Amino acid sequence: MSETVGMAESASMIRMAFVGKGGAGKSTIAGTFARLLARRGRPVLALDSDPMPGLPYSLGVEVDDHPIPDDVVVAGPEGGPRWVLRPGLDASAMVDRYAVVGPDGVCYLQFGNLWGHVARLQQAQHAWSQVVAELDRDRWHLVGDLPGGTRQAMFGWARYADTVCVVVEPTVKSMHTARRLLTLAQAKWGPSNLMLVVNKARGGSDATVVSERLGVQPVAVVPCDADAVRADRRGAAPLDAAPDGSLARAVDALVDRVVSLYSLGSLGEEVAQ
Amino acid sequence: MNDEATTVVADLEAGIGTLTRLDAAAVDATVVVVEPTLRSIDVARRAVAVADEQRQGRVVVVANKVSDGQDRARIEEAFGNRALVVVPEDPAIDVADRLGVSPVDHEPSAPAVAALEGLVDALGLTS
Repeated sequence: MSETVGMAESASMIRMAFVGKGGAGKSTIAGTFARLLARRGRPVLALDSDPMPGLPYSLGVEVDDHPIPDDVVVAGPEGGPRWVLRPGLDASAMVDRYAVVGPDGVCYLQFGNLWGHVARLQQAQHAWSQVVAELDRDRWHLVGDLPGGTRQAMFGWARYADTVCVVVEPTVKSMHTARRLLTLAQAKWGPSNLMLVVNKARGGSDATVVSERLGVQPVAVVPCDADAVRADRRGAAPLDAAPDGSLARAVDALVDRVVSLYSLGSLGEEVAQ
Repeated sequence: MNDEATTVVADLEAGIGTLTRLDAAAVDATVVVVEPTLRSIDVARRAVAVADEQRQGRVVVVANKVSDGQDRARIEEAFGNRALVVVPEDPAIDVADRLGVSPVDHEPSAPAVAALEGLVDALGLTS
């Protein structure tokens, strides 16, 4: 049993995506992770491909209902993508223009807001694909938050990530989705690292149950944090509401672990228990 | 499915993606489940707006995991003019989830299960 699954080249800039079943706590952990990483003096771009608001709350960024406008794209070339960024607009300019700077200096970019109909998001989706494919990978540490479930993972929405973190609650439903995501990520995605984080753990047995069922040792176990739960109810970022709480401490340790993996160039190496 | 004696219950994906892709007036009723967190209320408000716009039948809001009056007030403030069913925070549901069994089978008399009787009433499914 290992903490990380997969093999690949080392890298220095962190490119990480959080996935899991809806409600597992992806956005909470991703947002907290992004801020704690930024506090280490690292430029962090938080990429939110969930059209529903979740990550803004955990980052402490105001929810914005103004999606990336359709006119950022023009019809693509014959045989190519349906839409491409309009001439003169590249990934870097998109971040400069549409990303929001939040607490701890985290830059936050959302793919699109889904107030009405899906058709409105098709152009934003093409823009998003191009932006994440062409981002300057030496400029940012990337922390991505995907919607719950397997759909976006299946369709390669987070190929920018070389580390995929599956967030799982110690419930049978959540573990079922996590198992699919672990399999799917390896088969379709091939990230260098595949990590498991157990969230909402009550006691040590929860982590044991999850690791036995999934055959992967969690890289972090995040306990139930009553203060963070209360903060969630009023829409406050857990890091602001409970900066020294058990959630913040566990995610801080996760940041240390990930930073260490990248800086030691041991990305993708198996970490035996 | 034209059999009028058949009730179809569909569990859609989280968010409103599937709801936006349904044909207009595709269902008789839409149940929007919401937790008493601002982010959940935000999504639920969008779901209610889409269901209304697409004429997806009677819209009933189920407030789930309500632990106190503050939780209830938060939901009522957002959806006060809607049919509302309140389901209390209930450890029995947590245990059932961890065991991977239906809450109805695990503890049929659990307060959360009992509260869902109200949903049946709100949907007008009892004769």
